[in-house]
Amino acid sequence: MPDVTRKILWSVLTAGTALATFSAVPARADDPSADLMARGEYIATAGDCVACHTAPGGKPFAGGLKITTPMGDVVTTNITPDPDHGIGKYTEEDFEKSLRHGIRRDGSRLYPAMPYVSYAGMTDGDVKALYTWFMHGVKPVAETPPVTSLNFPANLRITMGLWNMVATSETPETGDSATFDKLRRGKYLARALEHCGTCHTPRNIMLSEKEDSYLSGASLLGWYAPNITSSKTGGIGNWSEDNLVEYLKTGHVAGLSQAAGPMGEAVEHSTSHLTDDDLHALAAYILQVPAKDDEAEHSPREQYGKPLEEADVRSGDLTRIDKLDQMDGAQIYDANCAACHGGNGAGTADHYAPSLFHNSVVGSARPDDLIMAVLNGVDRNAGGVHVYMPAFNQSSDVERLSNAEIASVVNYVTATFGSGDHGVTAEQVEKMGKELPKTP
Amino acid sequence: MAADRPCFPTSIHRSTPNAIRLNRALRMSRRDALLGALGAAAVVTGSRQGMAATAGQDDTGVPLFMALSQRLTDRDTLDPRIGNALYAGIINAVPERRDQIQKLHDFMTGGSFASARALASAAEHQDPVFKDVIQDIMTGWYRGLADHKVVVYRSALMFDITKDAIYPKTYATGGPFYWTQTPPEVAVPTGEPALSPSKLVIEPT
Amino acid sequence: MPSEQDLSADVVIVGSGVAGSSIANELARAGISVIVLEAGPRVDRQHFVENFRNLENKPSYQGPFPAVPWARHPPNQITPNEYLHTTGPDAEAYQQVYLRMMGGTTWHWAGCAWRYLPSDFELKTRYGQGRDWALKYDDLEPFYYQAEVMMGVCGPDPSVEDLGSPRKQPYPMDALPISYAAQQFRKLIGEKTPYRVVHEPQARNTRPYDSRPTCEGHNNCMPICPIGAMYNGSYSVYHAEAAGAKFVPNAVVYRIERDSANKRVTAVHYYDPDKGSHRVTGKYFVIAAHCIETAKLMLFSADEQSPDGIANSSGHVGRNMMDHTGVQVSFISGDKALWPGRGPLETNVIDNFRDGDWRNERGAYLVHMVDDNQVDLATQLAIAKGYVGRELEEQIRYLASHTVRLFSHNEGLADPDNRLTLSKTNKDMLGIPHPEVYYKLPEYTVKSCEHTRGLFRDLIGLMHGTDEEWTPGYFPQDHPAGSTIMGTDPKDSVVDGFCRTHDHENLFIASSSVFSSVGTGNITLTVAALALRVADTLKKELAHA
Repeated sequence: MPDVTRKILWSVLTAGTALATFSAVPARADDPSADLMARGEYIATAGDCVACHTAPGGKPFAGGLKITTPMGDVVTTNITPDPDHGIGKYTEEDFEKSLRHGIRRDGSRLYPAMPYVSYAGMTDGDVKALYTWFMHGVKPVAETPPVTSLNFPANLRITMGLWNMVATSETPETGDSATFDKLRRGKYLARALEHCGTCHTPRNIMLSEKEDSYLSGASLLGWYAPNITSSKTGGIGNWSEDNLVEYLKTGHVAGLSQAAGPMGEAVEHSTSHLTDDDLHALAAYILQVPAKDDEAEHSPREQYGKPLEEADVRSGDLTRIDKLDQMDGAQIYDANCAACHGGNGAGTADHYAPSLFHNSVVGSARPDDLIMAVLNGVDRNAGGVHVYMPAFNQSSDVERLSNAEIASVVNYVTATFGSGDHGVTAEQVEKMGKELPKTP
Repeated sequence: MAADRPCFPTSIHRSTPNAIRLNRALRMSRRDALLGALGAAAVVTGSRQGMAATAGQDDTGVPLFMALSQRLTDRDTLDPRIGNALYAGIINAVPERRDQIQKLHDFMTGGSFASARALASAAEHQDPVFKDVIQDIMTGWYRGLADHKVVVYRSALMFDITKDAIYPKTYATGGPFYWTQTPPEVAVPTGEPALSPSKLVIEPT
Repeated sequence: MPSEQDLSADVVIVGSGVAGSSIANELARAGISVIVLEAGPRVDRQHFVENFRNLENKPSYQGPFPAVPWARHPPNQITPNEYLHTTGPDAEAYQQVYLRMMGGTTWHWAGCAWRYLPSDFELKTRYGQGRDWALKYDDLEPFYYQAEVMMGVCGPDPSVEDLGSPRKQPYPMDALPISYAAQQFRKLIGEKTPYRVVHEPQARNTRPYDSRPTCEGHNNCMPICPIGAMYNGSYSVYHAEAAGAKFVPNAVVYRIERDSANKRVTAVHYYDPDKGSHRVTGKYFVIAAHCIETAKLMLFSADEQSPDGIANSSGHVGRNMMDHTGVQVSFISGDKALWPGRGPLETNVIDNFRDGDWRNERGAYLVHMVDDNQVDLATQLAIAKGYVGRELEEQIRYLASHTVRLFSHNEGLADPDNRLTLSKTNKDMLGIPHPEVYYKLPEYTVKSCEHTRGLFRDLIGLMHGTDEEWTPGYFPQDHPAGSTIMGTDPKDSVVDGFCRTHDHENLFIASSSVFSSVGTGNITLTVAALALRVADTLKKELAHA
């Protein structure tokens, strides 16, 4: 987002809006105030609605993204203002109920893949703004995505009512969210809008977030959303507020970490569009979340490794074009990774390709994110830079590495630049390769 | 023309590099056996047991080679791993080089040479064969070649001395569009050559 | 899965390079069954990257690709050659290289994706030289664009830099930001000469495109892009396979079978590497096996029905061999350090001599300033000059930063005497003859090269150059064309304007072998556009069948 837009947005937010009153009829096509619309759009961005409600290559907010859950696949719905296929018939009251309470217009329950327990924390004013923007700012799309099919008992939406009884929702904030002080604003952003906990907080047996382990890390779709509590060994306790702001804005901080997979999307679609003040508020709040030490990470993951200062002594032998035998980890690294990440692992001078040492993903005791990045690549367009690492899976056009080759190179990379060889196996890679993050 | 015979596996239609690898591991085809017998051109299988194996770390020539190399490159430190591999390649290509390196080393220690140029110039004057020895050593360290084979690629000294300006091909780690930036200026060299000139023979492509 | 006896498809394609694989992709996506027979094996980028780094003679771009014995390709550009035997007064100028393996020769090209000029298609009409094509630029324009989208071509905004080939759509990607060396060259030509330097359109990513990354300037487009930022035929192979096309590697087609009337092709036969023979039937057949191998196959398929080879009633199969045979010079610039070799290899050209009235007597040409890393060459040169130690390092830096290399693509001309035949003495392990080419540089091209030398001398002067090294004679540009030439008259041409052979109604040829003239721009985009047009024709005809 250009700076100009960002400034306008901020002025809208700081100017504040009147407390909302819910109207009982669907919004009409009259012109809502520009301020309200801008605020609604900003809230939608901060809430990252588009991430789930748009299928890859699909129309914005028309739904159709398949989200894999332990209970089965949830297909997101069309939330454009189309009256038949989307939410065009929703009144503001209907909208509020589904957004904050997980109850659809027809009275049935939403699956908690929709983070309504987080959105429950939104202020009335922001709900109104969001509703207004969805009704007037989003283009209606007359398409219905396929329906969700879950395993028993979750396929009974009634079950979700029971679930809601035990799941903890955020308490709605009150007042004008634009006037909150820094930490309150940060908490509001983290909990009600960005719903960080949806991915970063482990869930209990009922799949609801464990409040006492807030942001202490959890697995999701093959990726591992790491511990981002203030723990100095297991979390991000060594990051400064500026570090975290830079990360959320660009998806990358040299010497610390970079975002890929679902976090890459969150940065691209949501956090990179937040105002600097909001980013600082969000960062300040996250950094004061109580430290929760990690069961696997015992040493700061961003501090592992150093440049590999080793000459590339070679055989000088050539292989015939049909000789496709598996090379060892060091050779696979040299042939596939070193072109961008360097023979020494330092990455590119401009950090477009990150350094592999002093890199949280490589230093982590959990190789999940590294495996997923090698399998699926990195595609993150944020902060004016479109970072792209190709996938190395079996549908790659650049290089199709076998599961054994990926295991081998991942083990080489973590042993050389990270916290050691974690003994990743081809079977593990195969399993993760099936956790496609996004398929229509 | 050979008679049509249905022997070719239809699975070839679905063969992927990985499937091929697996097939290879599972069966030794007639083709492979045939190729083995033919010696299949001059292609070697890509093992890493290259030339480095032929000169052990304890080869008495290696320390002499390293000492000579330091003088001839005007450098205090050189990578001994590279030195080992280069020495092995050089004496493998021309076995007489072992003695010649010894003699050149004796010549160096018998005199006092403050620079690579001083040593090279005097050595060629002493015995013209030293020029070949010196050029082998220069080719080894600067181009990373010995015995017409690559010993090191990106770690060759020619890339070390140009690393402020340019990357070895396939190892360009400047990020997209780094090439639009202005590279460093280079002054016209003033140094003199040490050896008599040779005709440069560029290998045909 | 079909049994061995039923290898059959609606369309059978010989060759999996950019032409064959892009046709396969288009047809498979339209639900048409396709089998592609590729003589060479499946291959893997990572092994080529390692081969390049292990290669002693780095400029040898055939070097990292040691061939398989059942589908040999030229090992190098050395005459006499172990595979492509060239003869005649300019034998060395026709020592082409190409690759026989899945994806084809675009594994090593520089990605230059030129459209031909409208005049290139009407050389005879406009200038009284050579031949006209049996199609016009406008016939090909939509397919040029389709090919640009397929490959991912970056290029300049036509309103800023018009390259002479009218476009209905902008390039799929923005032009490549040019290197410091190219910027200086561009400035010099613009200020000190009446000429201009333009952005070369390139099948290279200037942003993430088609699941492949942005170019990072590894300067190694030839022989191997290490990251896949440049298009090669293997992507179309993958896309076609995903759409359902079947690719058979290591299938060396050696015979084209026709019906009793000799009007329709009924099957092709291939050898596997053990010389087991297989028959593949289909409704349509496309030979897309590279200019040299295509003609070789058609000649080798001679039998009692067609004693001179397939589709050869005109006697023109194997004739009219053309190229962009060029001249090359390198020298040491006396001006500021340029450090060529930062960024992609070929990005900028002088295009003033691609067309003009003088084409009635001499061929057109274009000039590349080659942005090639000179460090290794500089080191060889400095060692040969006798430098050691500190002085050697000083020399390397100077030579690597000041060497300039220029080369040209000069327009060849269709001459039936420049002819490919089957070697009578050299055969491969399957008993298939090696190709042999007689080549004498046409006078038209000689005059063009003379003009280029004059321009190069002027440029050397402008850059205060010294130590100029002219490549002796002429050198091949590996853009062979013409061996199954296109024309309207079946008496003196092999295919019609749709690349269909005059002799066999269901046999098409997708290759630079159909070119009637060779122009100046690299041939690949035109090959791809013609191939996509063949796919379009086949889709229409199969829909009606």
